[in-house]
Amino acid sequence: MAQFLEQIINGLVLGGIYALIAVGYTMVYGIIQLINFAHGEIFMFGAYIALMLITVFGIPFWIALPLSMVLCAILGMLIDLIAYRPLRNAPRLSALITAIGVSLALQNLARMIWSARDRQFPPEILPTVFQGQNAFLLPGGATLPYRDVFVILLALVLMIALNRLIHLTKIGKAMRACAQNPVAANLMGIKTNQVIAITFAIGSALGAIAGIMVGVSESVTPTMGYYKGVAAFAAAVLGGIGNVTGAMLGGIIIGVAEVFGAGYISSGYRLAIAYIIMIAVIIIRPSGLFGRSTGHRA
Amino acid sequence: MEGQRDTGLNMKNKLTPKNIILGLFVCFLPLLMYGIDAISLFLSRSDIYLDLPSGDYMLRIIVRAYLYMLLAIGLNIVCGFTGQLDLGYVGFYLIGGYTAGLLMARLGVTYWIALPLAVVNGALWGLLRGAPTLRLTGDYFAIVTFGFAELLFRIVKNEEWLIGGPNGLVRDIPPPAIFGMIFNQNWHNYYHVLILLILVVFVTYRLQHSRVGRAWVAIREDEQAAESMGINVSRYKALAFTVSAAIGALGGGFIAQFQVNISAPFFEFWESIFILCMVVLGGMGSIRGSMIGAAILGSLGEVLRPGFIIPYQFGNARYLIFGIILILLMRFRPGGLTLRKA
Amino acid sequence: MRNCIIILLIVGLVSVWGCQPASKDKQEPQRELKVAVAAPFTGNAAAFGEMIKRGAELREKEINEAGGINGMKLTLIFEDDAGKDAEASLVAERIANNLQILAVVGHFNSSCSLAGKPIYKRAGIVELSPGSTNVTVCQGSDWTFRNLYRDDFQGQFIARYIDEILTDLQSVAVFFDNDDYGRGLRNAFVEESQKIGLNLVADEAYERDSTNFKAQLTSIKAKNPDAIFISGLYGQAGLIVKQGREAGIAAQFFGADGVDSPDFLTIAGPAAEGTYLTTPFTFGAAGEDAQQMASNFEALHGVAPDTWAALTYDAVGMIAEALEKTYNSEASVADNRKAIRDHLASLDTPEEGYMGVTGLTYFDINGDTVNKPAYVKIVKNGQFVAADQQLLDLN
Repeated sequence: MAQFLEQIINGLVLGGIYALIAVGYTMVYGIIQLINFAHGEIFMFGAYIALMLITVFGIPFWIALPLSMVLCAILGMLIDLIAYRPLRNAPRLSALITAIGVSLALQNLARMIWSARDRQFPPEILPTVFQGQNAFLLPGGATLPYRDVFVILLALVLMIALNRLIHLTKIGKAMRACAQNPVAANLMGIKTNQVIAITFAIGSALGAIAGIMVGVSESVTPTMGYYKGVAAFAAAVLGGIGNVTGAMLGGIIIGVAEVFGAGYISSGYRLAIAYIIMIAVIIIRPSGLFGRSTGHRA
Repeated sequence: MEGQRDTGLNMKNKLTPKNIILGLFVCFLPLLMYGIDAISLFLSRSDIYLDLPSGDYMLRIIVRAYLYMLLAIGLNIVCGFTGQLDLGYVGFYLIGGYTAGLLMARLGVTYWIALPLAVVNGALWGLLRGAPTLRLTGDYFAIVTFGFAELLFRIVKNEEWLIGGPNGLVRDIPPPAIFGMIFNQNWHNYYHVLILLILVVFVTYRLQHSRVGRAWVAIREDEQAAESMGINVSRYKALAFTVSAAIGALGGGFIAQFQVNISAPFFEFWESIFILCMVVLGGMGSIRGSMIGAAILGSLGEVLRPGFIIPYQFGNARYLIFGIILILLMRFRPGGLTLRKA
Repeated sequence: MRNCIIILLIVGLVSVWGCQPASKDKQEPQRELKVAVAAPFTGNAAAFGEMIKRGAELREKEINEAGGINGMKLTLIFEDDAGKDAEASLVAERIANNLQILAVVGHFNSSCSLAGKPIYKRAGIVELSPGSTNVTVCQGSDWTFRNLYRDDFQGQFIARYIDEILTDLQSVAVFFDNDDYGRGLRNAFVEESQKIGLNLVADEAYERDSTNFKAQLTSIKAKNPDAIFISGLYGQAGLIVKQGREAGIAAQFFGADGVDSPDFLTIAGPAAEGTYLTTPFTFGAAGEDAQQMASNFEALHGVAPDTWAALTYDAVGMIAEALEKTYNSEASVADNRKAIRDHLASLDTPEEGYMGVTGLTYFDINGDTVNKPAYVKIVKNGQFVAADQQLLDLN
């Protein structure tokens, strides 16, 4: 029972992280129909930037966190400006290849700057919430670190905030309009490029915070973006790609499924579980669990 | 479009002096390469070392470039002709490699039987993967193909009882042999892959310029219109998947004996992306384009090798530059290198 | 068709350009003897490549400062295989056909050594690996050697150590890296455990690139083992130990040589305390040579050496010794390469073995190093120290 409870918590924490990343994929896809391969790399940069701010510049954690989010938002907008914007009217595959190019370039840039070895946030500078040994003791011998509670709550709060942003604010409305029909939105006076830039900024900032959360509880490596990115992408697909609420739920489902698959079925197939779910969903219900049943997207 | 339909069989106007020279060049390339080696060896006797690459090494790069051409042409059938984005092409490459590798290394089957079996197995899997995805288009198809290849990769990594070694390691795959003649030199492999490549180009070219090829293009341009014109979309798509998969498996069968030991990292997801980049770089839907793309990307990594090895923190610059080249190409030639401006 | 010519020209030019040797020194007054070091300097195993490079550079510097090899300068050429077998085979071809290179130290990853093996064998050049532990690496080729033990020995050793020395540990769990190294070691460990009746309660895998091990650790925890054997590399092992302690696992952690890196201590932090690990060599238990090498290493590179740096240091030393004894500037390249192989192959008894900082190295008929003992280290006060009890004789 304790094991089951702990696995649920493990799954929720992982799921929260996936959800934060998945949102970045799904928002960009919703508006410009581009699988932004570079998003995983932005997630990785978020962790590295925060780490550098803290260890090199000596900035306190709680300031480094938002600062890294802002810097990653700028990075996301820059990528859009330099790499994707010139290709808005080009064939979709060109943009996809560009995204792969950006991903390759960023990942190896990180290797050059920070070397390939794992890095840790120095434990002494981390706020007590993130110190792994501080944990609630649950009945049955299970432990629940404060950090896990924090990550789950943070993901939840950010998701709700994002949801409100999309549905209640003017910029959210503009985003939805662009997602439905960019040409018409443009004709209605919405500055599409600006909206897209903001979408990239929001997605990247959320990716960055996810990166920092992974960094403080696991470690920071140049390849972290790829593995977490792929699973998060599966989450976005599961939720119906382009659907923000779906991405959040998809993230949680993938996270829990991955943990349970590894814990109870076969740990060698841990990463494959996300793919299996993804394929099953697409073949059975292509619009995702929470998407509109519009059938096939071109 | 030229006035006369090109069926691929009209050889008369192709026998230009230029093409003959080209043909001879391709045929005698190993001789040239070994000539370089012979000169280097001769000079080394008197302690003169030229800053020349060795012919054997260049041959290996060229063999690999040819192999990538073959794979790119195969992928181009699905991506370029029928317009579906396949992110899991490496899956068939893997199936071919492991079918041939396991048959030869563990069951002692000769290469000449193992290779066709690998191709058949690849084609079967192509059909198998194609069946549930026939109705999917665009990104959903792409995602399924990606997941399919990743699953195969995990299976190879985990099922040690099947593969026989950790991490998908199949060891000591014997080289092909005829009557005791063993083909394991680089120049053997050169002609070997050249023959396979010519075969694949020929088959693909004939398909492209036949009824089938036109049906594929019609499906790419507008699936519903094609259907209403009486084209059996499902059948032609399935055919495209099968042929493409068979070519991928052919490449895999070749690499198994070429590398002698194969393991799972050969068939990583990035390899799919790499092959896709070749197709896109050269221009989708063009055999020639795929070949040019494969020639460039297949050897780019080796070109960038000497320049970026010395300060090792810059060793990663090789892939950084690779990424930047992709970005720049897409920015300035989004339709690929060979696409003429409309 | 013009495009086809262009393709071929591109391939040709590109390969010509690509094959130029990295260094373009003009007319060295002193004669150079070139030895290649092939290791993953980029990619996921780059941290190992870094230490290999540093160890090799130290030895190169020392040899040249001491007057070189019979008055000739030793030049190392570093080639990057990125830890991938596809790259390794190209690198192997590049090295093997470079007539200036006399021997190869490398590769590090077992899969890379295996990828290079047929090519080195065909070209006739020695491949001396300072890091490949897969059982089959040296089999079937006269040209492949290694100066460290194999997975099967190490796996057996750990099982026996737990069984014979740490007798209060009743049940063991294995947590292995799902890669050639981790799985090979785990197979040997599991086999030996079954033979000697060690109680295995859990057997879980992880992927090398993952950083989150909570799911597997939670299921291991539920089995409540007394000891957990981590069959993998230091980066993940550090995280596993850390996350395991955070998850409330009190079991004794055990690692193998892949864990033997100072980075393990920094990653795991205080959680590393009390972790046992085996190593082909430990600076703590080694002689004065090793201490001297460690301090020279720190003076040159500013960091402490690890096992791989020491093994590479020795591997370069072995090749240098072979060159010193056999190199004949009149003979052809092929003969010189062959002479190195024959010299290495002749080191087949303890008396003739090579005495380096990692101990005595001599080869069996395959080119495997059989005699090297494994040492057991334990983490105490944030340092690796030799464990109180060693198991020196397996039989």
